[in-house]
This record gives sequence, C-alpha cells and structure tokens, in this order.
Amino acid sequence: MKPASIEDLTVTPAGSKMAWSRPLRLPGLESIAIPVAALLASMIVFAIFCMFAGANPIGVYVSLYKAGFGSWYSWQNSLLRAAPLMLCGLCTVLPARAGVLTVGNEGAFIVGGLAATAAGLATQTAPAAIMLTIMAVAGGLAGGVWIAFAAALQHYRGVNAVISSLLLNYLGLALLLQLVEGPMHDPGSLNFPASYAIPESHHLGVIPRTRIHLGLVFGAIACLLAWFLLERTVWGMKAKVTGGNARAAALVGLPLGRIILLAAFLGGACAGLAGMVEVAAVHGRASQSINAGYGYVGILVAFLARQSPLRVIWVSVLVGAMVASGGILQRAHDLPDATVAVLEGIVFVMILASESLYGRIPLFQRVTDAG
Amino acid sequence: MQAEAAAVSGIAVALAGGAIRGSIPYIFVSLGECLTEKSGRINLGMEGVLLMGAMTAFGISDWSGSPWLGVLAAAAVGALLGLLHAGLTELPRVNDVAAGIAMIVFGSGLAFFFGKRFVAPMAPQLPVIDFGGWSSDPAIHSALRISPLFFLGIAVAFMLHYVLANTRWGLRVLAAGDAPEAARSMGISIRNKRMVATVIGASLAAIGGAHLTLYFPGIWSEGISGGQGLMAVALVIFARWSPRRCLAAALLFGAAQALGPSLQTAGITGYYHLFNASPYLLTLIVMIASCSHRRTLTGIPGALAAARN
Amino acid sequence: MSSPVLIEALGITKIFGSMRAVDDVSLTIRPGTFHAIVGENGAGKSTLVKCLLGFQDSDAGEIRGGGQPFAMTSPGEARRLGMGMVFQHFTLVPSLTVAENLSLARPDLPAIIHWDQHHARIAEFLGHAPFKVDLDRRVAHLAAGEKQKVEILKQLYLETCILILDEPTSVLTPAEADEVLGVLRGMVDAGKLSVVMITHKLREVMQFADEVTILRRGRCVGHAMVSDMSVPRLAELMVGESRTREEVEKTAPVTDSALALRVRDLAVRGDNGLPAVRRLSLAVHAGEILGIAGVSGNGQKELVQAIGGQRPIESGDILVGGRTFHPSRNAIRESGLFTLPEEPLQNATVPGMSVAENLALRKFDRFPLAKAGFLIDRAALMNSARQAIRTFSIRPPSPTVPIRSLSGGNVQRAVLARDLGGGDARIVVVSNPCFGLDFAASAFVHNHLLELRNRGGSVLLASEDLDELLKLADRIVVMSGGAIVYETLRAQLDMSVIGRHMGGHAAA
Repeated sequence: MKPASIEDLTVTPAGSKMAWSRPLRLPGLESIAIPVAALLASMIVFAIFCMFAGANPIGVYVSLYKAGFGSWYSWQNSLLRAAPLMLCGLCTVLPARAGVLTVGNEGAFIVGGLAATAAGLATQTAPAAIMLTIMAVAGGLAGGVWIAFAAALQHYRGVNAVISSLLLNYLGLALLLQLVEGPMHDPGSLNFPASYAIPESHHLGVIPRTRIHLGLVFGAIACLLAWFLLERTVWGMKAKVTGGNARAAALVGLPLGRIILLAAFLGGACAGLAGMVEVAAVHGRASQSINAGYGYVGILVAFLARQSPLRVIWVSVLVGAMVASGGILQRAHDLPDATVAVLEGIVFVMILASESLYGRIPLFQRVTDAG
Repeated sequence: MQAEAAAVSGIAVALAGGAIRGSIPYIFVSLGECLTEKSGRINLGMEGVLLMGAMTAFGISDWSGSPWLGVLAAAAVGALLGLLHAGLTELPRVNDVAAGIAMIVFGSGLAFFFGKRFVAPMAPQLPVIDFGGWSSDPAIHSALRISPLFFLGIAVAFMLHYVLANTRWGLRVLAAGDAPEAARSMGISIRNKRMVATVIGASLAAIGGAHLTLYFPGIWSEGISGGQGLMAVALVIFARWSPRRCLAAALLFGAAQALGPSLQTAGITGYYHLFNASPYLLTLIVMIASCSHRRTLTGIPGALAAARN
Repeated sequence: MSSPVLIEALGITKIFGSMRAVDDVSLTIRPGTFHAIVGENGAGKSTLVKCLLGFQDSDAGEIRGGGQPFAMTSPGEARRLGMGMVFQHFTLVPSLTVAENLSLARPDLPAIIHWDQHHARIAEFLGHAPFKVDLDRRVAHLAAGEKQKVEILKQLYLETCILILDEPTSVLTPAEADEVLGVLRGMVDAGKLSVVMITHKLREVMQFADEVTILRRGRCVGHAMVSDMSVPRLAELMVGESRTREEVEKTAPVTDSALALRVRDLAVRGDNGLPAVRRLSLAVHAGEILGIAGVSGNGQKELVQAIGGQRPIESGDILVGGRTFHPSRNAIRESGLFTLPEEPLQNATVPGMSVAENLALRKFDRFPLAKAGFLIDRAALMNSARQAIRTFSIRPPSPTVPIRSLSGGNVQRAVLARDLGGGDARIVVVSNPCFGLDFAASAFVHNHLLELRNRGGSVLLASEDLDELLKLADRIVVMSGGAIVYETLRAQLDMSVIGRHMGGHAAA
C-alpha cells in the first residue's frame, strides 16, 4: 500500500503546470520504444556474433533483408513462412491471455495435420471445397483438444502446462511416425514413409497471381478474429480478466475452468488448422515432413508480439522473413542456416529482458497525482 | 523354451545396459535441476544447456583430442548459460517460464550453429569401462560397456546429498529455497544462493549433454536430445527433490528410453515409435500422479510452492 | 549468557507519509523485568519495536542501552546489546530439522558441519534450556506451540538476553501459552532475561508481566506497573475510554426484518492447510450492518474469501434469502451479494487493466455495456466509467490509465463505485475497507455503506478498527480463533467486554 502523500490531496489538471516546469513525458510510446530498443540491441549482439563467426555483419543484414523483402519472390517466401507462424503464434497467445502458458504448438500442429489427412482421405471423393472444409474442421478439433488437455491438466490437477505440453509434442510426433509407417502407410512411398495422398486437384489453392497458398488468408483472418474476440466480445473480456488476476475473476463469479479450456481449445485449433494447411497446401500427405518446426517458432512469435493477436500478424512476417533467409546465409556467407536460430534466440532473450523496463523509465511514464 | 528364455534374457541385458547408458543425461540434468530448485528457482531451459553441452564436448574433444577436456569445456559452457538464465530471471517482471523457453531457443540455436561446423563423424570418445569382460556373449559385452560418467554421476548424487545436509552453504541454499523470508532475516543472500545454484546446476546439465556425444555412437546431430532437458524437471518432482532418489528415477527413465531399442534388438519391431515414446508417456503419467490441485507436493521447496499458486 | 542491560527508547517518532505510526513514545525496559506492550491493530506496536531493533530508522528519538546512546542502524547493533525478537510469522525453515534451524541461526557456523559434535553442543545447550524439543524432527512436522518454543530457543541459543516477542501466544492453546510464558517468567525472575511482549491478550499481561505500556494510534496512552492495573482498565485504555460516538444519519433499525444473509456451520481452511474458520454461523438481517470485530488472523480474511468465492468451503453453507448460495456470476447478480475483500488492488481488481475495464467488471456482460449479448459496447463502457469516476471522485479522472497506477484510496473508491454505485448491491460483505485511507476517503466509504443499510440493504463488515465498527454497526460480533465468541447489540455495548473477547478469552 503506498503511503499517502501531499499530491494525493490536490488535483493537477493536465496542462496546468507551467510549460518549463513540466517534465517531458511520452507515455504512448512505451509499448513501441521498448520492443524496438530490444530489437536494436539484438541486432547489435547478433552483429558481434557474426563477426566472431567470420562473416561481415553488414553483409549479413543486407542478405537477410534481400532474402526477406528484396524482391517479390523473397516477399512470397516470407509470406509463405508467415502463414503457419500466424496460426501457431495464436496457439500460444490465446491461452496465455487467459493465464496459461504452453509450448504445445508443435504437437497441436502435427495432430492437426494427421487428423486433417485422415479426414481428407476419407472424403476425397467429395468436391474439393467440402473435403477441405472437413479437413479444416478435423485439424482444428484435433489441435484444440490436444492443447485443451494440457490446460485441463494444469487447472484441475496442478500439472505444469509447459512440461505437459512439451511431452505431448513428443507424443504427437511419435503418433505421426507410427501412423505414417503403419495404418496410414502408402506402400508407394518407398524410402520416405508417408501416408496416402489427397488428390492434387483438391489441394488448397493459392492467392491469385502468387505462389502463396490460402493459409496466409486463414492466418490473417484468424489473427483478426482473435483480436476481435479478445478486445470486443464479452467472452474475450472474461478471458482477459481470468488471465489478469484469477482471484478477481473468481470474485466476480467467472467460471475459470471453462474459460481456460475454451481459450486453450481455440489456440490449439489454430495450430491444428496450420497443420491442416501444411498437408492440404504444401505436402498433400502426412509424413515426417510436416514436423517442420513452425510450432516452436510460433512461441517466439507470440512472445515477440507480447501476446497481442494483431501484432502477431506483422511479427510473423518479420520472423517468416528470418526463417526464409536461412538458405541465403549459407550460400552467400558460408554460415549454417542455424544462424537464424541463433538470431531468434538472441531476440527472444532480449525481448524478455526488456520486459523489466516497462514502468521504470521516467520518460515514458505519465505524470499522475497518484504518484 | 530355451530360445524364448534366451530372448527374454537378451532383452533384459539390453535393457539393463540401455538403462545405465540412457540414465546418464537424466542423472546429471536432474541433479542440476534439483540443486537449482532447492534454492528456490526453476530452470526450464535445461534442454538448451544439454544441447550446448553435447556440442561443446564434441567440438573440444575433436579439436584437442582429449574427451575429458571436452567434458570440462562443456561444464564451463553450461556454467555460462546458467549465469545467463540466472541474470535473466533476477530482472523484475521476467516470467521464469518464459525465460526457460528463451534459453531453450537460444541454447539450441547456438548448439546447432556451432554443430554445423563439425564434419568429423566422431570425436575422440570417453574411455569406457568394460564390465562385460567375463562373458563370451557379445550382447552382454556391448550392454555392459559403461561410461565413466555414470560413476561420476553417482558420485555427484551422493556429494550433493552430503553438501545439502552437512555444509553451511548447503543449509543456506535449502533455507533460501524453502523459506526465503526466514533466510533473509538470518542474513542469507537469496540472490547469491540462487545464482550459484543455477550456475552449478546448468554446469552439471551440460556434463550430462557431454555424454550424448562422447559415448558410442558418438556422433553429433540435431536430434541428439529428445526433450530430456525438460523431462528432468518432471523427474525431480517425481523424485521429491532428493538427489539420491533422482539417481534411482534417472535409471527408471533410462530404462524407459531403452525399451524401444532393446525390443528392436530382440527382433520386435512393431510399434517402434510408440515404444520410443515411452519415456514421455512415463513422465506424463508420473506428473499427473504426483501433482494435485490442493495437496502441496511433499518435499517441494517453499519458494516454488508459492510461485505455483 | 550475559545479563540483560537497561534499554531505554526516548521520544521515538516514525512517520510514513502523512501518517504518524509512532508518535513520541518513550519506553523503558528495566533489566530482569517482563514488560508488556498493549494495543489494537495499527496502534504502532510493531513499528516501535522495529525501530528499537534497528529494522527501521526512527525519524526522531534516541535509544540507549546500559545508559549509553546507540545508533540502531541495523539489527546487528541490536544484537550487540543482546536484543533479539521472535516474530509473529515463523522464521524457521520448515524442511529442516530443529537442530539444523538452530545451527543456521548462529553466525559462527563452520563451513563443514560435523553433526555429532554439533548435536552434542546443542544438546548441552538444551540441557540448560527451559524447553525440551526433539532435535531431529523437521520443523514442518511440529505443532504451532512447538514451533514457537523452537523460535524462543533459537533466540536463547543466540544468547539473547532481552527477548522481544510479537503476539507470541496467538497460535498457542491456553495451556501452551501458560507453559511458554510461565517458563519465560521464571527466567525473568532468575534475572537471566528481560522480556518485552507485544500482545492484545490482557489476561496474560495481568498474569505474567511486571509493567505494561499501552499504545493507541501511535501514542503512549498509559504506562503502569501491572500490580496497579486491572483487565477492565487495560481494556478501556486499549480501545479508548470515551470514544466519541459519531452520530451518523441512521434510520432506526427495523426489528424482525427479513434474514438477508445466513452463514451456517461454515468451515474453511487457511493457506497453511489448518482450519481458519471453524463451524461458524452468523446471520445478517435486511437493513442491518453486522460488524465482525477481532484482531487480524482469526479467520476473518478466510471467511470473506469463502463468501466471495475465492476460497473453497470445506463444509457448511451460505444462504441468501433462504436458498443456498454458490458464487457464480448469475447467483451473485440475482442475489445482489457482492464481496469487497481487503487489499482491493490485489484481490478485487485486475491491476494491469484500465480503470474503466475494472469499473465494468461486474456488468460487462449485460446491457447496456454489452450489445447483442456478446459484444462489448466500448463507448457505453467509457461513459459508464466516466460517470462513476465523477460520482465517486476517483483521481486521476482518466478511465484509460491502468488501475494499478492509482493510489490506495482511489483504488478503493473505484471498487466501491463498481460494487455499490450501480444500485445492484443488496448484501455487501466487506473487509477492512478503510485500511490505509485518509479521513475523507474513509468517511466516503462509510457513508456509502450506511446509505445501503438505510435503504434496506445489508452489510457484513469485518474490521480491525473498533471505531469504524462503533460508528457503523447495528450489531457486533467478535471473532476469535475462527469462531464467533461474543455478540452484542451496539446499544448494549460494553467496551471492556469487547476488548476482553478480542483478547481471546471469555468474559468473567
């Protein structure tokens, strides 16, 4: 409890102080300035890293830019990567806003892809639109249940959701490998075990005049819907209250368990949908390949976006560009594509460290009478 | 009948050897995590430390020709990563769980980066102790080749137990993790204890990682660790934060991990992937059985219990 | 163990902001005496003692030991004079044994501990000590009484000769309390120890202490030898002889009015797993304010949390209008039973959300703040917030700032605006609403509670401030040890009786 002070007793309407005695304050900029500062710091650290690795940091950044945004071709590469990242990012964001942190994106992605493949193979005689819709529903349901399970374990049983969701990732992967080598195995896929394929004609289409599949549209729409859900609906408010202070949520009678489960389900459904897109648009079948790592990068996207669905959109594009540039680093600078992973790690650490700056830099605080 | 008996004993031997082999990373990581958690902090980033330890050991062993130097280097790198994690979590408003995830991304990124430079298929390996020499059976031979790190792990477990029970430093670490307010009133620096515990803990985990690359087959690959870093956290809960029980639990998890390959050597190839997933399933079941919404876990350091609520 | 010296605290003053926690208090602890410090919550006892022990700097005054002035800059200084304190919360490490805890306390513990030697040393110390405890038992397995003994032993092991105890018997049974205090009394009589005991239990003061100092609102309002004192006189001094009964606008209480809220045989567990509320029953009528008096830590917090849905109920039930009440959102709205827990920022708001959002917490899912049943009408939310801010004078008058940036008084105003401002509240359960608030803010809160009562609503008010209860309540019950121990109408109130019950024992 803050001790009472003289300022408490007087009211200072904004602007009443003389101009020269009013300290400079830019409160609105805090949420932009601090992440930007963290990104700049990351870039400096990464530049030093590149120098140690024997590469010219300026050259590396130029290559990264070119690979990400240098041409329409690069843009498409970046956007292609951004699509699953948007959906996987939401898989962390939605439960996180309701107070549950999970890393189960990868598992939900995989089981979503599996369920979608199974659904697609079962309905491949139907028109493409119907088959794809059924696949999407199947993928979403599978992913949703997967993450909701981890959230339920935490809420009702006290099992740390990070650990349980990570374990579920590995279990999901085992399930994938077992199924594509066993019951779903296509004998025609000789050296590389894979399931039967859905017909080419039924693949998810691309945005006209581009190479980008419709997954990007799904991703963007999902982010917008998630934003709308959280910021404009009653349920979204309930979720934010639950995530903000569970005690206060209980006080006003909110059903904590139901809210958390639904948030986790919706997040998992997004990742499951991303898995469906990976099957329906990229590979056409389920195999080891759909374990593409988008899940883990999605966690980074969520944290970089500070758990905000709208920010996930452009952060996904940025990170997608990073992911897409792995190849060019290898060719142009003789750096392994894991260099991008190092950059990701540095950014993640810096963004987290910058969390401690919020509310502490006087320049960005409002002058309030409350002290 | 005899063939069956031979098959069963063959599996048993393979399992025993595999359990010992597989337990080594678990021993070191769980002991490291146990110490860290005893001081009141949870480190979920051990997976990244494990990978960096594996890669460092491989690289230094390859470069210097001495596997033991590789182990030492891994320990040093682990300590540095522990320092980074400790520093990050000491900052206000930094979520410990998020910090752990960040360390996984960072550590594994670094490991994969440096790992790419090593084209040598195998670095100089740690000398193994051949316990199977008495037998003429080649299967027993290969099963009972035990890495010296196993014995080091056992020694560390008993040493940790001793330190926590019989030294001033150990008692203070326990106080810092169990009752931070009481510890503060006794003049103990919570921050220092946690920092040192985290650094040592990560260093141990890195040594566990060294085993992955300095023991047959001794190749470096990106999939060399399969989540063992994080499973160790569950292992510590299962072992109720006792170093000696961590040792026993590590053998159990090692056995679960060896289940798939053991069955395979015996010719049972069905459901290969599901058997390989048994450690994860085991961990999940262990977690569900150990945790409870209301009951406080026996043996949990007080600071961790408070953070869970 | 050296013998205790004379300790004098002269003119100690400690100010927090605009609040004088300790106001020019002087205290003399003669060697070989048992000195009690008595007062209600907020009287300044803990703060005074913290200054004495060097945990805090005083703003004015001087401390002398053995006639020499001492600058108490740190607890280490106090230790040099032989002063040591047993706190209200235990400072033992639960997972360690008694022996380990005792050893850890001493600064001369060697780096490597040879337990056989160490055990022998502690056992020898225990031989001369007044209590016997099993050295090898983990503290977590000890009962509260045994833990208290270990805390005292710890101080004796540290060679404390001026022992300060803060509410030492609050967790003890009467028998244990007698045992512990009896032993300490014996050591005082033998000249080995001076004891300073902060307490609100007047019987213990009369039975064990030599001298007593009474604090009220930071000032020393009395000091005497116990032999010249009596329990009624102590109670009067503690709670205030002539309390001006501020007359507030109160309509006459309706007799035989309907039962609004009933708590029946409620049992609730505290954070430590032990029962905090024991088969408690009470009833609040329409148009009535029922006050719960009592020193903090006797289950009031847990009772309020249980009614508010923040803590599970072990057994018993809560009835509103004759029907069992489960704190779901609909039930809360239909019954109009709103709970306002203490420390509102942590317990009743979402600190990171804006003032406007917090103000809407109970009604964002209904018209007019919700459109079409599932959308939030942000404009309506803002308007509603602005109105509430104006009516309740919340500062700063901005609906968009995060509520955690508001001062304590303004957070409480916001919570009141949310819960009382809408007119939906019919039964309000509130705990220490004016804690940390200045006079104007407190009056504001009180007026709103009275208004509710005057128009037929009910209030269950748990408060550690007797003045507040006297001003507002129609009926007062005293809660001690998790149960109701006394009940009285305000009109028939006897201060000393109340004081005695708060002091933890039945009236004569």
